[in-house]
Amino acid sequence: MSLRKGKRYAYGIHVPDMKDLSKNYPIEEMPAPKTVYIALSQHIGAPATPIVNVGDHVKKGQLIGEANGVVSANIFSSVSGTVKEISEFVNGLGQKLKYVVIENDGKNEEVLLPKLPDLEPKTIIERIRLAGIVGLGGAGFPTAVKLTPKNPLDALIINGAECEPYLTCDQRLMVERTEDIYKGIKYTAAALNLSRIIIGIEANKPDAIEAFTKYEDLEVVILKKQYPMGSEKHLIYSTTGRKVPVGKMPFDVGVCVQNIKTMIAVYEAVELNKPLNHAIMTVSGNGISHPKNLKVALGTPFTDVIAFCGGERENVVKIVAGGPMMGRALVNLNQFVRKTDSGIILLTGKETNTQKPTNCINCSKCAQNCPMRLMPMYIEFYYLSGDYENAEKYGAMNCIECGSCAFNCPARRPLVQNIQNAKMKIKEARSNGKQ
Amino acid sequence: MENSNGILVYSSSPHKKAPHTTKWIMLNVLAALIPTSIMGIVFFGLNAFLLIIISLASSVAAEFIYYLIAGKPFREIAKDFDYSSCVTGLLVALTLGTNYPLYAPVFGSAFAVIVVKLLFGGTGKNFVNPAIVGRIFIFISFQSVVGSWLAPSIASVTGGTLSTGATTLVNILEYNTLPSLSVWDLLLGTGLSGCIGETCKLAILLGAIYLAILKIIDIRYPLIMVGTCGLLAVALKGFDFAYFLPSILTGGLILGAFFMATDYATTPNTKVGNYVYFALLGLLCAGLRQATNMETVSFAILLMNLFVPLIDKFILNRPFGHFKKKKERESK
Repeated sequence: MSLRKGKRYAYGIHVPDMKDLSKNYPIEEMPAPKTVYIALSQHIGAPATPIVNVGDHVKKGQLIGEANGVVSANIFSSVSGTVKEISEFVNGLGQKLKYVVIENDGKNEEVLLPKLPDLEPKTIIERIRLAGIVGLGGAGFPTAVKLTPKNPLDALIINGAECEPYLTCDQRLMVERTEDIYKGIKYTAAALNLSRIIIGIEANKPDAIEAFTKYEDLEVVILKKQYPMGSEKHLIYSTTGRKVPVGKMPFDVGVCVQNIKTMIAVYEAVELNKPLNHAIMTVSGNGISHPKNLKVALGTPFTDVIAFCGGERENVVKIVAGGPMMGRALVNLNQFVRKTDSGIILLTGKETNTQKPTNCINCSKCAQNCPMRLMPMYIEFYYLSGDYENAEKYGAMNCIECGSCAFNCPARRPLVQNIQNAKMKIKEARSNGKQ
Repeated sequence: MENSNGILVYSSSPHKKAPHTTKWIMLNVLAALIPTSIMGIVFFGLNAFLLIIISLASSVAAEFIYYLIAGKPFREIAKDFDYSSCVTGLLVALTLGTNYPLYAPVFGSAFAVIVVKLLFGGTGKNFVNPAIVGRIFIFISFQSVVGSWLAPSIASVTGGTLSTGATTLVNILEYNTLPSLSVWDLLLGTGLSGCIGETCKLAILLGAIYLAILKIIDIRYPLIMVGTCGLLAVALKGFDFAYFLPSILTGGLILGAFFMATDYATTPNTKVGNYVYFALLGLLCAGLRQATNMETVSFAILLMNLFVPLIDKFILNRPFGHFKKKKERESK
């Protein structure tokens, strides 16, 4: 066992974590709903190709969408039943995606993946690819691609920071399924041929830290409670002292970062031969009657999840998919659980902020809080004046969209939104330049 | 399923925000100036009270009249009012002596709010500190009364002679005489003539500590300014450290450093930029004071305000994981 304290990085902010709402509720398995709507694009990269037809009978765990290329992921059914529809519609996040709609027959017939012949690195990586595992921290980058790095690595870092306020599902997992996570970590380390394993956990989760100290071969790092500690680059700095250079990836400094939930998925795929067909999420916020940590079948409508948690209390003004700092607000409730969903947060008028933006007063709090040490006010200023070159010069492309700037902005300026737009414009300009 | 309102608010992340708004900041700055204002009224009586009230009222009136002429409905002006005009008005009043005519702050505050702030785009768009300009406007327009400060109603607590006619600062600068008042008198402002808000340094520091606790200002910056100002003053007197405290505790340095130089809109945007800005400001204060034999803090701040865009152009934050120096070395 090795226990040490993580480094504090300069800047960053302190956000009230609000985890008390749900952190004491064990993870419950929500019964599968009558109908599931499984999106064929739940990851970064090309959408999967549907391989079932309307009217087909599918079993739980059956492949319904096949990965389309290397950077893509398989999609599995989360219930047994009949395919009712394969259609494209606009979801609650405003994305137009293809969905496979399956009616649950309630029989719960399950198929498993074939048993693994051996535990060679190649076999494990192939299994992770087959099981459709993607980075479950939120981005949804196919894990198998991450496990075949271009540079030699010397450490595997497990992200147990969970710095987003409200979310507690990682914390619950670390306490309840420590052994499973440990096994998942060992399989991942075997796939990467690594012996140095670091797990970073924020100091506000003493129970999770306690749970992992019993393993001899893990380096447990107690991270300072600081937002955004779960950001890949900051986690690497806090645990190893290495700084990922601007525009480079974690493998450039010899590390691979994986999320807690991804490790559970790896364990289930390798040892239990189960594909990834559920999401583990927190339903919280002052707008929900009973905050809960849930294991939900993929494609479950958000309305069903909210109803399972006792429904809304009064004055819900905003529903967020993901954490409140980086998650996306829903336009309407026509949204269905994806692999990468880590929470549904129902915010009341008091919790969220709907004031309209006023003049920037140049207080430079955004620059003083930016964990990437950018200057958000300049990026915003140049974006709004249409000068995208200067927006790029002030670091728009390095932004990790953590929201530290907009969180503390006294003028309530939508800094993150403007920087996201600036990024889009810069990318457009780049692709136009190439042609 | 619909929520109770039937409408979901849609916006970009983050969906949680800190409770602080511009209004909250301005109200707290006003609160931090309350002790100074009270001490001013205690020292200088009814006239000080009237000057403060008139200045506040005229600055607020100036903003409302400007927007009404611009065609903004009254209700919206009231809704968008962020109290920054009140801060300007109060600061203008605090930099006046009680011998100024009561209509003086009307011109000063209106000029500060309309010309310096609103014409350039409102709160945060001013390129120099409005209160400083308001003060200088009055200072230049009413020169006949300048220099004849009235003494406060409370005499020295430690038995020093009352210094009237010229501020103690001018004595130090011009005649190289240390003030007859003790440091405690200088700190409390007892027996010291001067502006309404500049005499009681203890009250100003109290307000500054309040703002520092709320993290509205970073207390290090004004301390740097006061420090460099005091050190240069000492150096100019042949390194006689007896001059250190009297130099920084006389005149408007403390009020200027903690409440005027720290104005958000007219300070650099980076930590390093701020260190440079405040250090240079302190040096400029002491240098100008010695060169002109008069109180020049406001002019120094005005001058340095104009250099802020330059500092911001050259001193920038380096992004996390930026290794420019190494790369340059490698390429060599």
